[in-house]
This record gives sequence, structure tokens and C-alpha cells, in this order.
Amino acid sequence: MAAMRDLPLQKVAISGPTLASMLQRFSSSVGDVDGLLFGHVTHLAPTLTDDAPHTSNSDPSSSSDSPELVATITSFICPNSVLSFYDAFGLVDTPSLQRLLVAHPGRHRQHLLGWFSARRRTSNRPSMREFSVTRCLSSISELSLPVENAESPVNLAPCVFLLFATPVQEQLIHTHEYRAYQFRDSTECFDSKSVDIVNIGPAFRGHYGSFSPNSPFPMLSCDLRSSSAMNEDRSEEISLVELKKVANDQKELDMCAEGYGVANLNRLIGHEATSYTAGLEDLYEKMLVKIQSLAREVESGNAKVHQLESHNRKLRYKVGKGGVE
Amino acid sequence: MPYDGFPPLISSQLQYLLNHSSHLIKVEQVWSGTKYFPGAFDRFTLVIPYCLDFIRWDVVYNAELPMAPPDVIFAAEDEDFHPLHADTKLLQGILCNWNFKDPTCLFNLIEELRRKYVKYQTNLVERVDDDRLKFEISTIISREGIEMHMSSGTDKPEEVKFAVPLMDMNINKMVLACPWRHQQKIYLQVVYPVGRKYLSAPSAPRLKLMSSAELKALFPVDEIKLPSWVDGMCLAEYLPHLEELLQKQVLEAVSLIDVRRHFIEALAPLFGRPLEADPVFCRKATFLANSGPFTFLVHVSISTQFPKQPPSLMLQSTQHVNPRDMPVKSAIMNEYPWSPRWEVMLMAEKIHEFLFDECLNFKRYCNESQQQ
Repeated sequence: MAAMRDLPLQKVAISGPTLASMLQRFSSSVGDVDGLLFGHVTHLAPTLTDDAPHTSNSDPSSSSDSPELVATITSFICPNSVLSFYDAFGLVDTPSLQRLLVAHPGRHRQHLLGWFSARRRTSNRPSMREFSVTRCLSSISELSLPVENAESPVNLAPCVFLLFATPVQEQLIHTHEYRAYQFRDSTECFDSKSVDIVNIGPAFRGHYGSFSPNSPFPMLSCDLRSSSAMNEDRSEEISLVELKKVANDQKELDMCAEGYGVANLNRLIGHEATSYTAGLEDLYEKMLVKIQSLAREVESGNAKVHQLESHNRKLRYKVGKGGVE
Repeated sequence: MPYDGFPPLISSQLQYLLNHSSHLIKVEQVWSGTKYFPGAFDRFTLVIPYCLDFIRWDVVYNAELPMAPPDVIFAAEDEDFHPLHADTKLLQGILCNWNFKDPTCLFNLIEELRRKYVKYQTNLVERVDDDRLKFEISTIISREGIEMHMSSGTDKPEEVKFAVPLMDMNINKMVLACPWRHQQKIYLQVVYPVGRKYLSAPSAPRLKLMSSAELKALFPVDEIKLPSWVDGMCLAEYLPHLEELLQKQVLEAVSLIDVRRHFIEALAPLFGRPLEADPVFCRKATFLANSGPFTFLVHVSISTQFPKQPPSLMLQSTQHVNPRDMPVKSAIMNEYPWSPRWEVMLMAEKIHEFLFDECLNFKRYCNESQQQ
């Protein structure tokens, strides 16, 4: 395992939709919320000229020689409450954290980067407990994540903390303030980091180079063999195995597109690719249908969650009233 | 009351804190962070006295989870104050064994955090690289209740402030029927500019006596002339002398309460029983008087310098109001025949005589203001 080091981040990057989705979660929640941040840390290739001395192996803490690291937040989970994986003293509760991590489908290039806290009508400074949680999370070496593109394998602690707050004085215009911090183990303090919002457009072309999809298309073994006469004899015996495989592939494809036959994938490659455009358009259309049906499910699920939450709130309110008698 | 509008669990804890803290903690601002109960307050700013100044801490509860312990956001200048450390077992116990039904929880939390804050500031001050300051700290650090504060900012010079509690005497006990809920103390505020270099003749620190506003009713510390600071002096030399001086003056101030009481009692046979009088410090009394059909109030206010200074008198008509519907009042009168060597009976008689003439002027003044 690579050594965990306290390297300074240059900035924290987050895609516009991810940030918007976090803000949406925050503003639609009944109270304060927190959650975990996922993503990756990349070492930016330095724009070195040939005559620049190669000194990246010297002291990593000095700013001039330190590698330029960018933490990119690609996703998050928000259990819709506070104290979701830590206690009131700010100590991380490992079983709760593991439960959250397991619930989050671990995908390609997604590591735990840190956590976030979103609180209504409070100052946009880290609180007593938030500092403690971040320090505790950063100290768990098993959670450290590898720095990608690094010259030598090096790990970084999940040291990112994203703070959301709304102004104490209510305003006519909804304002959401956000700040990113890196917890530095060497100095035991928060370093404020700039937040880079990645959007689509020419200004962000550089990001396309290091882009990797969060939900990649499933790996399906496309059967390139044409059903020629040569295979006809064998087709009987292997048909059962084949059928099972096709069914599996179909299941996986159904996760992405609704009602698109696996067999149709064959049309996208090989000599049948002449109808490429129409086939691809069909696939995209089916994908959109899938997204729509998912959205409907989410909507009805949300309605149920909302119902339960308001029921719980009423119960809590009752307990709260009864508590002082 | 500041705790109206809170969910009952939070309210009882806040109420307990405000009523039981040994420091006069106040609530500056209350508001709500919930979406569905905007009327249910769950966050507030506490104003906590520290080092003769105030620190402001935001206490953030969650009205959705009133059973959970609150979080605290400290002031922006205290961004390095992180009290939740592995070695703070007491705080851990308070926060992790939070019992929402126990109204003392918030009190325990804030008191412990304040103790941590005292330590944090002391550490900051002790780390300052200034030889003179290091020496001064070493001589006074053992004083019980001393507090220090490091103030530094980009736009102001670095300074270290000490709040030195003076005199080991219980002023509360010396006052009969003492109304003070908190133990009264007189503090010397000492402000040192941070020099970082040893100077052969370091400048004198800025000195100021401080006390609560309550104590000023008995002993106005602002009027005390501090002994001068001789070049090359240190606090350990200065303090005993100052304490001796103050001790005498406090004793005298306490004995003056009785002198004022006798004076008010001496006024009673001439003016009748006072309508209202300050029974503890005897600084104020109000009598009802009349001149023929014209009845008026006589407000007598007695300074702590009495009998050196005559009491201030003010008349107020019971029959005339000004255009704003306020009773007509006279100007404050200090200039009348007076001698501090007179007996209190004679003082009272002289005031009575003076007012006998003065009330006619006042009556004329009232009638004139009525006609306008």
C-alpha cells in the first residue's frame, strides 16, 4: 500500500450538476443535513519546460515543489439528517460509515474524498464538531485514496470538507454559500480551497481528457459470429448456455435502456453498421425511456418518503413536548 | 423572555444556562433553521463575558431533532480554537451522554467550553515572544480567576490583554440585603502592546479599572484615580499597592450607604414618608410635597460622593403636562446652600427651606408652559 501523505490540494473541482444536486438536496431537506463525498484525486501533469529542474521528489509540503493535486467530486450520498456517521463529539462511527459506504454502489474511480455539512441560517465557518469529524475521518488510514497520475504511488486521506450554509438573516433571494476546505494533518487546521465548477463548454475542454464515466456502459460480449451454416450443428448443444448468457446480458442492458434487445447491439458493429445511426438513435431513445421510468419511480418513492418523514416529525414533536413534563 | 418560541426541550436548557451561569451570559439573537416550523427557534447567539469583553458563540440545535446535542460555531477570530480533542474526556462525556431531559446539559457544555477557551487564550499569550510579557505572566499567573486575551488583526497592532481580579474580599457580603445575583469583583484591565524585543525602558501598559454596572451603584470605579506607573515597574509591584488603596475606598463606600440612609430618614419628618426610595444603596428617594393646592414630586438623587457633593434635586408637577403629555419637570438643581460638615438634620432643613422658595418658581414655570 502506498504511503499516506499530507499533500496540499490545489483546488476542489465539482461538476455543475453534482453541485446543483447537492444544493437541491440541501434546500429541500427539512433541516440540516450531512453526507459523504466521492470522487478522485488527480495529479495534474505539470506544464514543464524541458529545462525546468525535475524536483518533484523533494519536500512535498513546500508549495513550489509540491505536485498540483485536484480533488474532483463526482458524487455524494446524503442520508437526509445530521450525525449520520459520527457522534456528537465528532468521532467517526465506523460501523455507520461502513453501512453508508456499502449502500453507495462503489464504481470505477470513486473513492471516499471527504464529507459535507449543510446547515440552514448559520455562519459559513466550520463548527466545533465539523472540525472534529474531518480530523477523525482524515486519520483513518484504511480510507486513504490513491492519487491518480502520480509519479510515485501515493495516497491521500479523505480530507475534503465541503460546507454549505444559508445566511443567518433571511433574504428575499435564496442564497447558498459553499466553501471547500482541506484538513491538513501536519498543521491540524483547515486550509480553505477554491472550488472549481466544471461545466460543459470550451473553457473546460481540458477536463474532457481526464473524463471517465461514472456509470459506464456494461461490458457485454457481443457475439460477432454470424449465424452461418458452419455453426448450425453446434448451435443446438450450446444453445442453453448461450440463452442463459443472453438473458444475463439483457438484464444488464435493461439497467441502462428499456426494451432494447441485446441482439440489436450486433447491428452497431460489423458489416451491419451501415444502419449505425438508426440503431444508435434507437438505443438512446430506449435509454431516455429508461431514465423517464426511473424518474417516475423516484417521484413516487419521494412522495412516500415525504409522507413518512412528516409522520416522524409529528412523532418527534410529540416526544419533544412530552420531554419536559 | 428570550426563551419563548423554543421547542420545550431546548427552552428548558437555555433557561437553566441563563439562570445558573456564574458569568452573566446573555442571548443576543435567536432564530430558526427549520423549514416547516419557522416559528420554532433552534439556534441562538450567546454573548459570554470573557476577559472584560464579550465572546459570541452561535449555538446550533436542530428543531427537527431537539433530543440531539447542539453544535457550536465560534467567532471568526477564534478559528484555531478546537476544543473537541481526544484528551477532553469531560466534553466527550457531556456530548456523548447528552440527556435531552436534563436541563443542565447546555449549562455544563458552555461552562466547560469556556474553561477550554480560557486555556486556549492563555496558551496563545504564553507563546508570544516577548521577554517582558513572559516575566509579567510568570508573576501573576497564579492569581485565581485571571483571564488573558491575545488580540491580533491585520489592521491593528498585536496586544495582550489581562483581566486581573483584585482584592480577596466579598463585596456582596458587605452590603446589607445585597441584590446582586453574581459575585461582584473589581478588575484591573492591563493592555500590553507586544514588543517582541526587550527594550531598556518599556512603555507603561494601559491600565483601567473595571467592574460590573451593578457595582457602580455602590462604588464607581471610573472615578478612582489609579496610582501612577513608574518606569521599569512590573505588575507584581503595582498590584499590592493598588489593592490596598482600593480596599480602603471600598470600605468607605460601604460605610457611606448608612450616611445616605440617615440623610433620607432625616428628610422624612419634613417632607413626609418617601413615595419611593432605594432601600439597598440609598441613592434615590422621591417625596410628595405641596405648596397650597400645587402638588409636586421631589426627586432626590444622592451621588456616591455624598456628603462632599450635595444631592441633586428635581421637581415634577403632578398637575401639569407638556404638549407631549409628559409631566413637566424642572431642571436638575445642585446649586444651593450646602456644607458637608453639617449634621444630616441641618442638611434636610436647608433643602426644605430652599425648596420652599424654589417651588414657587417652578409653579410659575409650569403655568407658563401650560399657557403656551
